[in-house]
Amino acid sequence: MLLEVRDLRVEFHTRDGVAKAVDGVSYGVDAGETLAVLGESGSGKSVTAQAVMGILDVPPGRITGGEVVFRGRDLLKLKEDERRKVRGAEMAMIFQDALSSLNPVLSVGDQLAEMFTVHRGMSRRDARARAVELMDRVRIPAARERAGQYPHQFSGGMRQRIMIAMALALEPALIIADEPTTALDVTVQAQVMELLAELRRELGMGLILITHDLGVVADVADRIAVMYAGRIVESAPVHDVYKAPAHPYTRGLLDSVPRLDLKGRELRAIKGLPPNLTRVPPGCAFHPRCPLARDVCRTDEPPLYEVSATRGSACHFWRECLDD
Amino acid sequence: MTEPVLEVSGLVKHYPLTRGVVFRKQVGAVRAVDGVDFTLGRGETLGIVGESGCGKSTVAKMLVNLERPTAGSIRYKGEDITRLSGRALKAVRRNIQMVFQDPYTSLNPRMTVGDIIGEPYEIHPEAAPKGDRRRRVRELLDVVGLDPEYANRYPHQFSGGQRQRIGIARGLALRPEVIVADEPVSALDVSVQAQVVNLMDRLQSEFGLAYVFIAHDLSIVRHLSDRVGVMYLGRIVETGTDTEIYEHPTHPYTQALLSAVPVPDPRARERRERIILGGDVPSPTDVPSGCRFRTRCWKARERCALEAPALAVPAWFEASGGPAAHDSACHFAEAVPVGRSAPEQVVPVEGHGNGPG
Repeated sequence: MLLEVRDLRVEFHTRDGVAKAVDGVSYGVDAGETLAVLGESGSGKSVTAQAVMGILDVPPGRITGGEVVFRGRDLLKLKEDERRKVRGAEMAMIFQDALSSLNPVLSVGDQLAEMFTVHRGMSRRDARARAVELMDRVRIPAARERAGQYPHQFSGGMRQRIMIAMALALEPALIIADEPTTALDVTVQAQVMELLAELRRELGMGLILITHDLGVVADVADRIAVMYAGRIVESAPVHDVYKAPAHPYTRGLLDSVPRLDLKGRELRAIKGLPPNLTRVPPGCAFHPRCPLARDVCRTDEPPLYEVSATRGSACHFWRECLDD
Repeated sequence: MTEPVLEVSGLVKHYPLTRGVVFRKQVGAVRAVDGVDFTLGRGETLGIVGESGCGKSTVAKMLVNLERPTAGSIRYKGEDITRLSGRALKAVRRNIQMVFQDPYTSLNPRMTVGDIIGEPYEIHPEAAPKGDRRRRVRELLDVVGLDPEYANRYPHQFSGGQRQRIGIARGLALRPEVIVADEPVSALDVSVQAQVVNLMDRLQSEFGLAYVFIAHDLSIVRHLSDRVGVMYLGRIVETGTDTEIYEHPTHPYTQALLSAVPVPDPRARERRERIILGGDVPSPTDVPSGCRFRTRCWKARERCALEAPALAVPAWFEASGGPAAHDSACHFAEAVPVGRSAPEQVVPVEGHGNGPG
């Protein structure tokens, strides 16, 4: 296993009290595998990734437990300077908003070249040549000329390519992409996802794709981890989930998206709202919104039951959900 | 179609680009909307889809009179609202209301929800007598699925989905005939989107509303719309019923757009062939000659640069009829089965004769 997150816990201290943003999350990614972490806002999917990358804002955030084992080492035990060497060189992150993630006063060529001068000790001239090569690789037309331009001179799709180029620069073993195409138009989204998938295959990297888009997940993922209120509620190979979800929340998500290829009249919406993380309901966090909820769901928090060797569901009644 | 409530023709909005401070001179124009025509029937939903910068939001703003068109007309029940002013304009505006995209910035944070929903009555006092307004506000909250007791709370006390319900309640306050909704669910979480979409569906049949539903999400547009218009760089390039557009698209842009939408079914992965468009949408300050889509189109030929295709039923489909016979602004419009179309398989049809399909 390239990366294994074990029982990770992250808390935020807020005015309303302690929010358990990540409450015992475990997942793993193999080299060459794409894991999609699916969830709505506030589910803890991005915070988990930030803790893995070591870019969590501390305070207000605090890692209170768990392990992040990457290539055999627990990253949470490393010192900050050791951690910094892992970040960028061995694992890299792509963010949703490329404009605010790139430095507005440095040309994109300089920003890319900086990766090579800082991490690899290259000369400025060599680094610049590598930067242009990278821009070519993520298919930015006229790379040599455009290397001298600034982020605001690029379109959204092109900026996202530059972010991808930057993440790939040092050929990391793992890429974490946090909603990489959410801000993009569909035709551009297709370009960027295709590029990302192709480069991932070519370089044999592991990819963690954080998203709320069930369509994107179906398109590229090998495995899915569905998060709700800081916990993983279902974890399975992608085909299993779409064929028959083993958790009522996953089922609710699948039923609530309109499909281009199926026009039905009424969407089956999930009732209610995701909980406030400072006041997560007792027992199963999803029970107030769940059509299968019974007394036991209000009192006992479900463990991640083993549905099959490769699949888990945190629902007391997963069998029922699967048969439904 | 039922009797039209809105008829839009030749709608244009250009924003001038000027240079100089003392001697301002116009050096060009952003051609945000550049000749849009459509009609909206009573109780009908017209979906407008397109990517960012295609001009769909500018169309929305002109429909509710937040922007004045540079040219063209918008007729509400036969009366051109772009020429009205004063009292006559105010009377018409009552009937065309808007629901905005961002429920976080479109509600005044210093006003209670009751005041926000009741504010339209201040502007149009004839719509409800003063003594009756509180009751109406509570009724509206109930209609959109919120507790009427919430009338005294402030917007920050609500979630995104609830705020969008408040925005919808405000839109309904004057009992309009037309609601223009600009990306009403795109800021919401997936599970909440469905609630709001269902609500809009229910309100339409309950109040006989006509919707102009503007969105970039093709799946949601299909779900709600009777007819769909696809916009690209300030123009509608294809329009028809939802089946015509989604199952028998004939314009290459629509075909590319549909093929790019990820389907939430991993089994579709192997079957589908994507049309990946090259490059970006050209800037609306520098619109290509002839067909606007030609710079990204795999079918483009010399004729496309010389002659702008009109939005009409292509002659070669008109004779044969069927679902491919709908308005499409392409010289080489062609019916291709959705999802299986690949650029290299596409053989352009010249001028006339029957297309394949």
